[in-house]
Amino acid sequence: MLNLNVNPCKMCMPMGAINALLGVKSCMPILHGSQGCATYIRRHISTHYNEPIDIASSSLTEEGTVFGGEANLLKGLRNMIDLYGPEIIGVCTTCLAETIGEDVSAIVKKFYEQNPDLNVKIINIAAPGYGGTQNEGWFSAIRSILEQIEPNKTHNDKINIITPLISPADTRWLKDFLTEMGIAFTILPDISENLDGATETKYSRLKTEGTSIAEISAMAGAKLTLEFSEEKNSPAEYLKEKFGVPFIKLPLPVGVRGVDRLIEVLTEIGGAVSDRIKKARGRYIDAMVDSHKYNAQVKAAIFGEPDFVHAMVRLCGENGIFPSVVATGSATAGLRKVLESEIDMCKKFHFESDAQILDDSDFLNIEKACSELGVNLLIGSSDGRRISRKLDIPLIRCAFPIHDYIGGQRTRILGFEGSLSILDQAANAMLEKTESTFRTVLHSKFFKPKAEDKTESHPCFGEGACKNARVHLPVAPECNIQCNYCLRNFDCMNESRPGVASKILSPEEAFERYVKLKDTIPNLTVVGVAGPGDALANFDKVRDTLRLIREFDPAVTFCIATNGLLLPLYASELKELGISHVTVTINAVDPVIGAKIYKHVNYLGKRYTGIEGASILLANQLSGIRMLSSAGIVCKVNCVTLKGINEHHICDVSKAVAELGVFMVNIMPHLPVKGSAFEGLERMSNKEIMILREQCGANIKQMTHCRQCRSDAVGTLGEDVSIELREVEKQAVLQAEKPMLFAVATRTGAVVDTHFGQANEFYIYEGDESNVRFVETRNVKKYCNGPQCDDKGDRWESVIHAVSDCDAVLALRIGPAPERLLKENGIEAIATYERVETAVVEAAKKRRSSYGIT
Amino acid sequence: MTANCREKLLEKYSAKVYKNRKEHVLQLDTDKSNTIAANTRAIPGVMTARGCCYAGCKGVVIGPLKDVCVITHGPIGCGFYSWGTRRNKAKPDENTDKNFIPYCFSTDMQESDIVFGGEKKLEKAIEEAVELFSPKCIMICSTCPIGLIGDDVQAVAKRTEAKYGIAAIGYSCEGYKGVSQSGGHHIANNGLMRYVIGIGDKQPKTKFSVNVLGEYNIGGDGWEEERILKRCGIEVKNLFTGDASFEGLKSAHLVHLNLVMCHRSINYIAEMMKTKYGIDWLKVNFVGIEATCKSLRDIAAYFNDSELKARVEEVIKDELATIREDIEHYKKKLNGKTAGIFSGGSRSHHYQDLLKNLGVKTVIAGYEFAHRDDYEGRDIIPNIKEDADNKNIENITVTKDEKLYREIKHGDVAELNAYAGMIPEMCKDDIVVDDYNHFETDELIKSVKPDIFLSGIKDKYSIQKAGVASRQIHSYDYSGPYSGFRGAVNFARDVAMAIYTNSWALVTPPWKHKPMLTGQIKEAK
Repeated sequence: MLNLNVNPCKMCMPMGAINALLGVKSCMPILHGSQGCATYIRRHISTHYNEPIDIASSSLTEEGTVFGGEANLLKGLRNMIDLYGPEIIGVCTTCLAETIGEDVSAIVKKFYEQNPDLNVKIINIAAPGYGGTQNEGWFSAIRSILEQIEPNKTHNDKINIITPLISPADTRWLKDFLTEMGIAFTILPDISENLDGATETKYSRLKTEGTSIAEISAMAGAKLTLEFSEEKNSPAEYLKEKFGVPFIKLPLPVGVRGVDRLIEVLTEIGGAVSDRIKKARGRYIDAMVDSHKYNAQVKAAIFGEPDFVHAMVRLCGENGIFPSVVATGSATAGLRKVLESEIDMCKKFHFESDAQILDDSDFLNIEKACSELGVNLLIGSSDGRRISRKLDIPLIRCAFPIHDYIGGQRTRILGFEGSLSILDQAANAMLEKTESTFRTVLHSKFFKPKAEDKTESHPCFGEGACKNARVHLPVAPECNIQCNYCLRNFDCMNESRPGVASKILSPEEAFERYVKLKDTIPNLTVVGVAGPGDALANFDKVRDTLRLIREFDPAVTFCIATNGLLLPLYASELKELGISHVTVTINAVDPVIGAKIYKHVNYLGKRYTGIEGASILLANQLSGIRMLSSAGIVCKVNCVTLKGINEHHICDVSKAVAELGVFMVNIMPHLPVKGSAFEGLERMSNKEIMILREQCGANIKQMTHCRQCRSDAVGTLGEDVSIELREVEKQAVLQAEKPMLFAVATRTGAVVDTHFGQANEFYIYEGDESNVRFVETRNVKKYCNGPQCDDKGDRWESVIHAVSDCDAVLALRIGPAPERLLKENGIEAIATYERVETAVVEAAKKRRSSYGIT
Repeated sequence: MTANCREKLLEKYSAKVYKNRKEHVLQLDTDKSNTIAANTRAIPGVMTARGCCYAGCKGVVIGPLKDVCVITHGPIGCGFYSWGTRRNKAKPDENTDKNFIPYCFSTDMQESDIVFGGEKKLEKAIEEAVELFSPKCIMICSTCPIGLIGDDVQAVAKRTEAKYGIAAIGYSCEGYKGVSQSGGHHIANNGLMRYVIGIGDKQPKTKFSVNVLGEYNIGGDGWEEERILKRCGIEVKNLFTGDASFEGLKSAHLVHLNLVMCHRSINYIAEMMKTKYGIDWLKVNFVGIEATCKSLRDIAAYFNDSELKARVEEVIKDELATIREDIEHYKKKLNGKTAGIFSGGSRSHHYQDLLKNLGVKTVIAGYEFAHRDDYEGRDIIPNIKEDADNKNIENITVTKDEKLYREIKHGDVAELNAYAGMIPEMCKDDIVVDDYNHFETDELIKSVKPDIFLSGIKDKYSIQKAGVASRQIHSYDYSGPYSGFRGAVNFARDVAMAIYTNSWALVTPPWKHKPMLTGQIKEAK
């Protein structure tokens, strides 16, 4: 966004200036402005370093904005000195002081005049909150300190060290390293002790370590300045300009190149490389080799202050981590150029082309870039934690500020050890992810059907390993085309092939069958309509059937099989019905070949034959499939291979339907049927089919586990249990002598939902195990009025009388007393909460077995 | 506690500072009335713990409104520093599916905006916010430069409402206004009263509905309170403003009773709702076991409903039974310890109740930005002298809303629409400090050495360096909730954990107080 900063990736100038002042010995900062600035900044610095932070405020109020803040600042300075006794005071301005145009140097001058006996050095630092980020504030403070402390130009043997904000632990490392190399130095500021202090028996309120005034003065006489920054407002350049101290600018000593460069410079000025340093370098290279495989998986987003991101990009680059997103909150146009050359180098050996450099950026932009470029690791401050959580990307916290973890003062990036800690964290982030996910990934990829994926769990559309069962409900007897290979025969029980069913069911019967089956086959998840005619030629029945089932079982998967002639007519309605899978039989995409296969096509009340018929069919099939695909319905195309008719045309069919977005093609061998036109056609061998499938597999996924099921098949693909089922049904019907009567306590007739005692009326049903018929309702006097019902037998007599001719009473609950009474009258009491039809069927079954009929 | 503790502390100040501070530091004398100076300007340079007006408005009251896109108009710092630093928790609820709590929105003003004015930038930023986040309400919080350069945030808000058809409110809460955060609370209260409360019509579902005012849901405190109130059959419509929403606050005036947790930050709204809508307010305290029981009983007494009263007793009995064993355990560990508490404007009072339940005596208590009534009770309000700084914060007056005003029949509650303050609950020689500063905190820790000091992040590390256990009482060191019954157990556990840590026992190394080697010289055979 141009005007709205959403989740800032930067802080303000006073923050940086205060950070710097805290690295000066016996220094206390005061913010000239309203007291919120001091409070907020104390809070943030304290949380990061886990140290007490004292920042005074001149506590300007509305009066100060009108008459100026001089009085407040003078008072504040005096009180700080009285209470804390600092040697240096850093006065930082704020938005407020700068906006009202405070002349701080004049106020300081006045303070000196008023307090001539005080020996305190007061430094004033211009730090308007709108003047830049904490990075600019940091350098502005260093520069002001150098400008305002009396210089000691006597030449000395030390070198000056200027860094951007680094952690106390890194500062300690840098100091130790220089000492180890035999270099005398002054580092300004030195936050190593003040912001990572020890707990001692006595606590000193004033920061007693850090760069002293004497050391700062002597910086003017040093032999060299090393500045680890690209910052424009350069203290090194100031020292050169003013006192002729030469300088070398170099990147932070991060990564091999960074540390080597520092060693190189230090050696040139007389430093010596110890064995310990050589070994540390060797170990670092060894570790790089160890972790390079894992680091090569990293696409990192690096964000923070300019010098930090520059150093990190170099570290990442040389270790095979691709810096996909590099962002800083500062507006630093110069940095882009430096980063670009480094990133270009990475692009070459990463075969990556996309990387984004964002300057003057906020976290909204960083988040967007992370999503776009598939970033898998974040490197920066703890402000990246929101992206980390949202996008589930690990975050290495190694820059200021760190507010959600402890130990901000101890983070390391400098030197071989610091660099290595980043490399190890990056590699371990990758390993952690792999370790915690690879079993799941492998398992779901190769073994486990996804529960939410209806295609995976569909026995026909999913892989062969699917254990789910399906039922084909034979509700569609009519067909609107005549294929030469087909003869539909409803009564043949011993054939198992498409187009065959032993009995046509009404929608209600089909529903009953499903409910019953669901009870015995719990893994029944798919309902299909596959004829025996064409599902769409009998669409009213299909619609009614599926609606009934959907109401009962919202999770069920629906599929239908069709020749596709009426697809354009019903495609949108199929979607509404919740049909997720459709199989279309297409045997030819050339009307000339089609004409040989289809004897006639009945379309919109007229019969077409030959090429004309085949053309109509084909056009409707193809446009219908296109409509299904765009509606998100998964399509499978069945293709019957007819030797001498379309065997060489199959690949054309596959190719054509693949382009329409069909999911899978099922190339089936022709099963010759006695009495059909193609009864004499030679059967394709399994081998021939295999070869065809392999050829067409180049274009589209092939189904290899088709069992060419019956239209009333039940069970898993391997085991059709429909025949056994029919046997049971038949016997039951034969042995039922008279219809049984059931009294049901229900309010609506849909569900058994009423307490026996609270029923005003009973619905009377006549039925057996497969048929349920509503007879009448019978009013009774309600006799139970609530939970404190007293069981008085005489009140039930009328009720018992009303249902005396019934075999059983079905109710939500029945008390023990009426249950006993019913039993005495030969009526069974059944407590249930079910659909009425289901409950009656169950009750009939139960009754039957108690009558001794099996 | 030594009787001259106060004198020893104050004598370290220069004459000028002494003159000011002696009015703000009390060592209680129970025979006399204890009068304290409060809500006056902080002294520059003494490291006051106070924040600014913006912090009170945006950071405390407005920030936690989860469905409001709060834009900080100003340079980047203020927005950044008030981003996720209070642990006010929120989750989408039936009022709204928006939750902007994880976000910080700022106009990030640059030097040119200061010179040429920032209104245009603000308007463009609002346009971007609307496009990107489609909030139902935008609130603009001003930082120091805004008033000085003359940007009119109220006018921008009006134009925003007209242009996008959403609610927009501008707050002139520049950091330098008033003497502390307190001014910001007041400004925020005014805005909510003027523009938000009263425009909704979502009726409560029950006859015992309440708002909990001044509950900021730090560490989930408000959720624990809601849980308990709900068990009792009391419907909580709004937590003001922890886990609160613009959508919810719109109908806040339809409840039957306002409960006030943090009196300091929100008594303005409680009073104005009483005048305008006739809703009584009841000062409650859900920090502390007995305090929670008392608050629940007071509510039941107010509604004067026998069923509710019975239910409250039942809940109290059950909750107490659940926590009894834990509390007894910690009480054994904590009995006889002493504590100091420095907080914003109400917790120093609230937590004394909880500490008392654990056998801990509070010997030092102080506030950053409280007013005299928070120390001495509301009765003294007529005696408080207004000064120039107070007058700079607008004091709005409301009148009876003829349509929405209701006379609500209530039972007998001792302290209705009243608050007796912190001091009456404390003992002789206890120290009370107003606008405490870093110097005084250090000195008091040294001279009084309480076993635990409850304070904020700014003091935490110096307290710890001085060898005293500390708990952050603003943010709970990432723990909580501390309110209600379950919260009491959390707090007891955390305090015991802090006091019994081994860290300080190891400060002195063994070679400092005993020889490194011990042994005997044996004579050779």
